[in-house]
Amino acid sequence: MSVAETSAAPMAPALKVLAEMSPVREKDIIPLLQRLQDQYGYLPREVILEVAARAGLPASRIYGVATFYAQFRLKPGGRHTVRCCRGTACHVRGGKKVAEAARSFLGVEEGETTPDMRFTFETVACLGTCFLSPVMMVGNDYYGRMTGSRVKSILQQYP
Amino acid sequence: MAYSRICGLQDLASVREKALDAHKRFRSRVLICMTGCRAMGAVELCRVFREKLAAARLDREVAVVEVGCLGQCARAPLLLVEPQDFLYGGVRPEDVDEIIGRTLREGKPVERLCAGSNGQLTPAMGDIPFSKNQRREVLANCGRVDPRRIEDSIARGAYAAAAKVLTGRKPQEVIDEVTASGLRGRGGAGFPTGLKWNLARKAAGTEKYLICNADEGDPGAFMDRALLEGDPHAVLEGMLIGAYAIGASHGFVYVRAEYPIAVEHVGIALEQARACGLLGENILGAGFSFDIEVRMGAGAFVCGEESALIASLEGHRGMPRPRPPFPVQSGYLGKPTCINNVETFGNVPLIIQKGKDWYRSIGTPGSTGTKIFALAGKVNNTGLVEVPMGATLRQIIFDIGGGIPKNRRFKAAQMGGPSGGCVPAQYLDLALDYDSVKKIGAIMGSGGLIVLDENTCMVDIARFFLEFTQSESCGKCVPCRVGTRHMLDILQRICAGEGREGDIEALERLALDVKQSSLCGLGQTAPNPVLTTIRYFREEYEEHIRLRHCRASACEALAPAPCAHACPAAVNVPEYLALVAEDRLDDAVNVIRRRNPFVSVCGRVCDHPCERRCRRAELDEPLAVRALKRFAADHARKYEAALLPPAKGKAQVAIVGAGPAGLSCAYFLALMGRRSVVFESQPIPGGMLALGIPEYRLPKTILRKDIEFILRHGVELRTGTPVRDLADLRKEGFKAIFLATGAQKAAMLRIPGEEFEGVQDSLEFLRARALGRTPRCGEVVAVIGGGNAAIDAARSALRLGARKVLILYRRTREEMPAYAEEIEEALNEGAELHALVAPKQILGESGKVVAIELLRMRLGEADASGRRRPVPIEGSEFVIECDMVLPAIGQVASAEAAHGVELTAAKTVRADMATLQTSAPDVFAGGDVVSGGGSAIEAIASGQRAAVAIDRRLGGKGALPPEVNYSLRRPTEEELEKIAPRVAEELLPLEERRGNFREIVRGLSPASACAEAGRCLRCDLERRM
Repeated sequence: MSVAETSAAPMAPALKVLAEMSPVREKDIIPLLQRLQDQYGYLPREVILEVAARAGLPASRIYGVATFYAQFRLKPGGRHTVRCCRGTACHVRGGKKVAEAARSFLGVEEGETTPDMRFTFETVACLGTCFLSPVMMVGNDYYGRMTGSRVKSILQQYP
Repeated sequence: MAYSRICGLQDLASVREKALDAHKRFRSRVLICMTGCRAMGAVELCRVFREKLAAARLDREVAVVEVGCLGQCARAPLLLVEPQDFLYGGVRPEDVDEIIGRTLREGKPVERLCAGSNGQLTPAMGDIPFSKNQRREVLANCGRVDPRRIEDSIARGAYAAAAKVLTGRKPQEVIDEVTASGLRGRGGAGFPTGLKWNLARKAAGTEKYLICNADEGDPGAFMDRALLEGDPHAVLEGMLIGAYAIGASHGFVYVRAEYPIAVEHVGIALEQARACGLLGENILGAGFSFDIEVRMGAGAFVCGEESALIASLEGHRGMPRPRPPFPVQSGYLGKPTCINNVETFGNVPLIIQKGKDWYRSIGTPGSTGTKIFALAGKVNNTGLVEVPMGATLRQIIFDIGGGIPKNRRFKAAQMGGPSGGCVPAQYLDLALDYDSVKKIGAIMGSGGLIVLDENTCMVDIARFFLEFTQSESCGKCVPCRVGTRHMLDILQRICAGEGREGDIEALERLALDVKQSSLCGLGQTAPNPVLTTIRYFREEYEEHIRLRHCRASACEALAPAPCAHACPAAVNVPEYLALVAEDRLDDAVNVIRRRNPFVSVCGRVCDHPCERRCRRAELDEPLAVRALKRFAADHARKYEAALLPPAKGKAQVAIVGAGPAGLSCAYFLALMGRRSVVFESQPIPGGMLALGIPEYRLPKTILRKDIEFILRHGVELRTGTPVRDLADLRKEGFKAIFLATGAQKAAMLRIPGEEFEGVQDSLEFLRARALGRTPRCGEVVAVIGGGNAAIDAARSALRLGARKVLILYRRTREEMPAYAEEIEEALNEGAELHALVAPKQILGESGKVVAIELLRMRLGEADASGRRRPVPIEGSEFVIECDMVLPAIGQVASAEAAHGVELTAAKTVRADMATLQTSAPDVFAGGDVVSGGGSAIEAIASGQRAAVAIDRRLGGKGALPPEVNYSLRRPTEEELEKIAPRVAEELLPLEERRGNFREIVRGLSPASACAEAGRCLRCDLERRM
């Protein structure tokens, strides 16, 4: 992840969240970043700089936190996040094939977004639905007992 | 619903009464799991149920309640009907009408939906094996209450323990009770909870924090998720009691962001608890104040480690800190902080309500109480399981879990996730608790229990876990950051077929270094999966490195087509199946013969390891590979044609034994241009194929076809020519020797009476008939043993005129090593199986057998191989009359000619696993004389490998015929998904089998064969497509 030059994001949503969570203290950085990412789908550069300013911390500190945790994105993501589970139970029951089918259908690597901004593809270490392995999530929808051949028809449902 | 503050014990009791009354309004409740089952349509099911009940005007009598995990997740979506407690699984919206009509109106179960029906109808949840073998204490309310309605939990007793404590007990009393109960942290390390609380209480300062660690990051663990989503108040109440005990006024629930439902339910629970005055200022009017904030993790496994968790709460990167100071001294913001796991808190209200003595009565002395396991992987009943500490893996995986799907073999259970270890079959009967598990090299862990079967590669599992911990390593300390990277590199190389000598030792050294010098638990435990897999499955590592072989056929770089890889002779299975489907049978036979000359023979007697690995089994059933091989052999038009012109020149190789190993070696040497001489002591060639396997399984004409094919390549066969000493062969001028004399004698019983007339070596019995001497057969024949030789002897005896044939085996039918089809047919033909009996002595009169005395056995605990040890039952002797006893309990290697060659402790010939070379450099050995008794294909494969090694030794390249890709057929997308059952070969009707040795199995018809071959998924093409 780099200090991305994305096109300037509108600041209004960020300012609203910051107002609700003022004063910005160091210990509240992570919940703050989580709420900001909820607004934008990622953490725009200007937003991170604003958080740093409000918290009285160097921007590198905020970037250090944002890049440490897997949840935070510094680039805009797709409308739907496809998460293929690569946890133990899913691995043992063929999760790799499901992930490969998704990768092949979407045409992007892990962590990337399709050019039409429709899907972001991720793999997760465990979704906690191990009894239904292998599992795939699209947004907040869970799909259990997946096979590679079901991936296409499921993803085609999402606009 | 508007909540009002509860001001004391009385108030709480009356709220409870009111809630119970509210439930009584309904004569029935339909509880639908809305946690995990959401993934299988529970939301829609709930909506439809409510709609239909309203339409049927039953909505005032029947309540639909959205509850938490009901446990048997494999049958999602789950639905429980009270008051009968009928548990339904796999419920679809289309089933709702029937449930309303039959169950809600008539009170009867809908049989096809019963979650427990595996042949038996057990509609009530408490009767299903899955549930009745559990002890749901911590999970008692999970699945019975709507987690978003606090009154439901209060109705079932929530907050009664907290109320008792806050209004009448001193904090130190509470700590003492918890300490005396023996409760140990359920997060994985098992640290005594009471001790931690004491330390927190005693720490200096008034500002203290209590944290619930709900960052359940172990892949495969979902216990905490289920508890938080299904019964959050159990956890909050535990926290309330804990906070009171240690003197904390602030608490956190730190939960993974990947658990949105848990976050939602905990949030709702907190709101409602506050509204009821059960959280916040002056709780229950008792003067104690405590509130809880929910914080979400941001996707870092390391934040499950307590010091990293605290760092995360403080807004930092989640990197651990050196300890001391421990969090109880200096934690969050430098203040004393007590961190406990979700399940640990869930246990606390029970201990307070029912007392320490009750708690201690459950579990083992060192590990009291219950443990919740998340059972997943290769097991039938995946789901949430709660058992007392001290339960065994056998109880959890087989009694509760329902065993391994598709009758596959259990291999190991992974406990403790990436920090844990694998527990092999020999410990299936170990009473699991914190200490016993540690002794065998694993850890109890948080409760994730992944079941692995024979199709799981243990090296791949180690690699998988290390990949995970490597990517989650925070990077702060060198041993973890660099050490796990280095270990992962080695494992990736091994799985890619690029392992090197010394890799295993390097892994062991690195593992110890990383374990001992890492800063936190992540690094300290990351090597565990590697260490336990090396400890218990070292051969798998060695096979990957030395033989480029993955016995589970799971490592794709080594085994693109699992069937071909599983075949000991590496026959190109998918290729020849495609050729059969294209009706190019001679080409199919040609493909097989590049690796195995015994096409007709194997088409009848091979034990098809390929079918055990066939990926089609995941869709419907494995391909009938053996039957298709037979079909190709029987219908090929030019079966006799040799592969190559006969080899010429002086024979430099001597082969001792014309069994499958010896003849295969001769054949492959001939293909490499080398002549050999095969010495056979018996008058006919074939070894066990001729002298052991009866004709009803393998007709003589069939065997002859394949032997003649081999001899056509320039192989000289000298029957009736025993070899007494290998030195004689060297004198004759042979430069290399392949010893393949097999294991021709049956192992002795070593019991009194073995010398009586009528006791005969079972292999001798089979051999006599094969050599044209009709053996004397008794009236009542007792065969002792459970392998193929025993079944062969039994079925032969039936045909030779025995009135009664008994098969006596010391374990159960499930454990018999003989092929299942053989056992089935033996019983169909009239043999009687007596399981769990062992011979004590043979009784005779006038020197002849008249009876056999047996002891009954019971199955004890697992031995080193994982099979349950048969244990004699004292005083259970009984006698069966018989006049012939055929022991078939094992074979003895025929190593008489092996002078100057090292033997193993089991008196088999010692040969190198890769080259088959013995201690004498010019002598190679394979087949049963090395293995002590293996399958035909294993013998054939050893002959093939020996030929390669011998050719190289004599200056050649050791090149087998090249692989070919003649087939044109590719499966279509539809074919890859369509379910199509496997065909079965017909058997000769029973009446036609009496008194003769006619072949039992009839081959497939051309139409069946073509259809069956078409089911192949062509796994070998995945790369090339």
